[in-house]
Amino acid sequence: MRVPFRWLSEFVDTGLTPRELAHRLTMAGLEAEKIEEIGAGWDKVFVGHVDRVERHPGADRLVLATVRAGEHCLTVVTGAPNIAAGQKVALALAGARLFDGHSETPTLKTLKPGTIRGVRSEGMVCSEKELGLSDEHEGIMVLEAEAPGGVPLADWLGDTVIEFEITPNLVHAFSILGIAREAAALTDQPLHPPDAPNLTAAPAGPANLVEIEAPDLCPRYSATVIDGITVGPSPEWMRRRLELAGVRSINNVVDVTNYVMLEWGQPLHAFDIDNLAEGRIVVRRARPGETIQSLDHQQRQLTPDMLVIADAERPVAIAGLMGGVASEVTDETTTILLEAANFDMKSVRATGRALKLRTDASVRFERGLDRNLVPDAAGRATRLLLDICPGSQVVAVKDVYPRLLLPHDLTMSFAEFERLLGMRLSESDVLGALARLGFAPHLADDILTVTVPTWRPDVTLPADVVEEAARVIGYDMLPATLPSGETAPVRRDPLHLLAQGVRRTLVGCGAFETVNYVAVGEAQVRPFTDAANQQGFLHRIDGAAAIRLRNPLHGDRPLLRTTLIPSLLEIAASNLKHETGVRLFEIARAYLPSGDVLPDERMVVGIVIAGQREPVGRFAEPGALDFFDLKGTVEAVLTRAGVEPRFVPTTHPALHPGRAAVVLVGDSEVALLGELRPDVAAAFGIEADRVPVAEIDLDTLLELAEPVSGVRVARFLPAEQDFAIVVAEEIPASDVETALRAGAGPLASGVALFDIYRGPQIPQGRKSLAYRVTFTAPDRALTDAELERVRDRIAKVLKQRVGGELRI
Amino acid sequence: MSVQEQLDELRDRAQGELDDAADLAAALAWEKAHLGPKGDVTLFLRGVGSLPTEDRPLAGRAGNALKIVLADLFEQRRATLAAHDLEQRLAADAIDVTLPGRPPSLGAEHPVSQMIDELSDIFALLGFQTVFGPEVETARYNFDLLNIPADHPARDVWDTIHVESPGELVLRTHTSPMQARVMETTQPPVRVVVPGRVYRYEAQDASHEWMFHQLEGLAVDRHITMADLKGTLTELARQLFGPSRRIRFRCDFFPFVEPGVDFAVDCALCNGKGCRVCKGTGWLEMGGAGMVHPRVLEGVGYDPARYSGFAFGLGIERLAMMRSGVDDVRAFAGNDLRFLRQFARAA
Repeated sequence: MRVPFRWLSEFVDTGLTPRELAHRLTMAGLEAEKIEEIGAGWDKVFVGHVDRVERHPGADRLVLATVRAGEHCLTVVTGAPNIAAGQKVALALAGARLFDGHSETPTLKTLKPGTIRGVRSEGMVCSEKELGLSDEHEGIMVLEAEAPGGVPLADWLGDTVIEFEITPNLVHAFSILGIAREAAALTDQPLHPPDAPNLTAAPAGPANLVEIEAPDLCPRYSATVIDGITVGPSPEWMRRRLELAGVRSINNVVDVTNYVMLEWGQPLHAFDIDNLAEGRIVVRRARPGETIQSLDHQQRQLTPDMLVIADAERPVAIAGLMGGVASEVTDETTTILLEAANFDMKSVRATGRALKLRTDASVRFERGLDRNLVPDAAGRATRLLLDICPGSQVVAVKDVYPRLLLPHDLTMSFAEFERLLGMRLSESDVLGALARLGFAPHLADDILTVTVPTWRPDVTLPADVVEEAARVIGYDMLPATLPSGETAPVRRDPLHLLAQGVRRTLVGCGAFETVNYVAVGEAQVRPFTDAANQQGFLHRIDGAAAIRLRNPLHGDRPLLRTTLIPSLLEIAASNLKHETGVRLFEIARAYLPSGDVLPDERMVVGIVIAGQREPVGRFAEPGALDFFDLKGTVEAVLTRAGVEPRFVPTTHPALHPGRAAVVLVGDSEVALLGELRPDVAAAFGIEADRVPVAEIDLDTLLELAEPVSGVRVARFLPAEQDFAIVVAEEIPASDVETALRAGAGPLASGVALFDIYRGPQIPQGRKSLAYRVTFTAPDRALTDAELERVRDRIAKVLKQRVGGELRI
Repeated sequence: MSVQEQLDELRDRAQGELDDAADLAAALAWEKAHLGPKGDVTLFLRGVGSLPTEDRPLAGRAGNALKIVLADLFEQRRATLAAHDLEQRLAADAIDVTLPGRPPSLGAEHPVSQMIDELSDIFALLGFQTVFGPEVETARYNFDLLNIPADHPARDVWDTIHVESPGELVLRTHTSPMQARVMETTQPPVRVVVPGRVYRYEAQDASHEWMFHQLEGLAVDRHITMADLKGTLTELARQLFGPSRRIRFRCDFFPFVEPGVDFAVDCALCNGKGCRVCKGTGWLEMGGAGMVHPRVLEGVGYDPARYSGFAFGLGIERLAMMRSGVDDVRAFAGNDLRFLRQFARAA
């Protein structure tokens, strides 16, 4: 909310500068987001008096104005249609910095004397746009007659606009007067509210002037009928204040309703009573099928849960939101019905949502306005209208108030302040602060009774009262202590610890952690979908069951991801534009449909590597990253997690058919890895030949991980023996190793594959796998005879299980 | 030639040869020639038995004495030559130490992960357990139980991304839903922090992201006060930004706390005097906090007359930005390696 400081200062004199006051209010809960100084750049601009206006000798559309400001008396050439002798105007001298009146965007220019059609112009009479006050550039700005000639314009018109963010709990401070009350309370200065005469003495008008058929949605409705109105422009001062507050001036009647809304927080509406059927108001729910053309010229369909203001026949306004075109105040209007009313906050909010309509009025009603604000706002608006429209008069006033609201008492222990704040406040500080805010506090025997004014619906609990006192006294007084009392021992979340360990392992393997958006689209998911519409990577779901966002930030990405791989591929592609190789991972959730209220959020690790294995360097190993680079990394992670994995060939729509493996621990699938199909890689914009990707489920891993136990240090030297095993080409290495381990028995403490040979020394269609096996016994040094027996057993098992033969 | 003369001659010759031995191999050959199993000294001693009886004692003694002398000389010479030899090998093995090292391949943890782990550690020291909650949430936990009713404009503060579902499901707009989830399943005392991703329907710019990370803190017990909140946050600020940091409270509104504040730390760069980083204010906003709203406590079955608590929320990216001088929040989900690489060393 934009608050012109001069307007505010009419109601309270705090003795503070605008900036100081803005800071005090900010600390107390009214955050000043922006401070705008109007007229700060108006050097060399003065209040001038137009002495004379003469025709320009050389141009029909230009005039010569003689303008006097103190000791300056200048001749100014202008084309402004509205300049006239005797006006007070804004006179800029050479050197003044003004906005370019013809530029679309605000552009500052320095004024230079010039010659226009042979006549020298020594200065300029300014429009509002040139002064940065508004976009008005049709003519010059004409000041009030009482403007003191010769003084700098900034002294007369300059102001500071403080823009406050009004948090949604605050309704009492959603007005200039409300903010003035806050300022008065904080600085302990008196508040001077504007004159708002009581209208109850006015004639009551016809008995059926106002009828409320839905008192549940309209606790109060007051109508003030004023005739003798002449609709026209508002006075300068009012137009300017509205502009500063960010409201466009329409005409004097509408401007008054807006002015009072800004000043008091109570929205008002003026109807042309001659366009109200039977000249009366019925507040009721809309009837089925009713429509209204609202002031924004939209035809709106109404429903029976919406509250409308109607005349004898049809709706003329949507209560609390917007008036209708049919009863709008126009230049022909002479008699108005001024509405000041209170509407149910939930009803206004629901109607606004249904109609997708938010207005300055509705944002105020939604917060729960004070019903007792109605007569003051009506009185203030009437006073202004009568002043502005000489000859107008109040002909009827009707204030229907079916649901009276009175201040309520809140009783609490004074000890509540200390219990919540952690320090004792002085009784006089608390009582003073509350009284200044408009509460009526009373303290007896440590029991505090606070009478809460009806304009503070946000204060309902002792904690609210504590905040009210504390924010006025100031939070600086709070000491800094640490919580006392017993606490349970802090336990580390096992999944978090596992994720942390995995993260560090991957970093040690040269991978960089990324954090990616959770939403993906069809384009990213399609390559990971099979013919049966099963989609995903490690976790596959029925595509029809994918979790969708109703309002995704990016319309082409409405799905919550079930795999991290597509996001990582996109990041890989963008990095490969400037990197020769990437190793990327992410630890995040996959969102899987669960059949329950909430999806199953599985913690998974996704890894994508692509490009050159090593950057250029003295020790660089040339070559592209491939399946085995990633497999080694996956193995490192699984080792870190404490499981023994098996890699089993598999297929997946996005993976190279001959380079894909599912990783099993026991019977559980904990990971899937493989090289991406080249066409899939290309679809993500990755040109590398090989793009190994893997995904590991951490939740599953956590269930399977075995803690380290039974650790012993071997006391006897190990014996190492090499085995070259010749098997058929199609036998997977893992089967050979399993057989080797089975044959070697418990004495084999380590098995490492160190060579694969195919060539003339072994038969066609077979390969030789060379393993080094480490043998240790916990209780003895192994003898040659013992090792010989083991070797025989290995030969036997290999023969049986994989048809293998020992070559050495 | 007498035995003695014979031995003297042998000694002189051997000594001369040893002095001539230029390297370790020559010295070892010398040892073999003189002291080895077929060496001349060995052969001499072996031949003592065949000498005339009267010569034998002298020959034995003198021969053995010579063996000892030569062995001694050899050992000295061998040590000298070995030391020389080692120096020569080392000299030949010299490298250009200014060449680049063999780099271990190291990645980096994402700055958000680093910050979450650091905060989790700091709060563990203060007795707070780190817990995690769902990112897809019901409106009940994300809003209703946090005193944000559907029919109140406070609900509009959170621009919410909704999930298609028969009930009202959202991507959580804050980590606060875990306040209710934790309190529903535990009895006081409660001290937890909840890090995690949160989502807003918000246009992206240098200071706004639609996905970012928060850390929620919650302490509920008898006698928990707002001064405790200030002390806890002061401790946090000092752990993160240095031992003399101060915390400032400003009254603010969050529906689930009362009184509510936002909190700022004095700028470490200018010590609160005002500079470019703190935009001249001397303070940097860190997050929102307050005393847990009585209606939130009631909603989870805690008696607000008996228990009180504080809650706070921190923006993880914001803290990382303050710490590392990052000026565009989009960098965190941008994942450019040129950005991530800079976090390879612990912040």
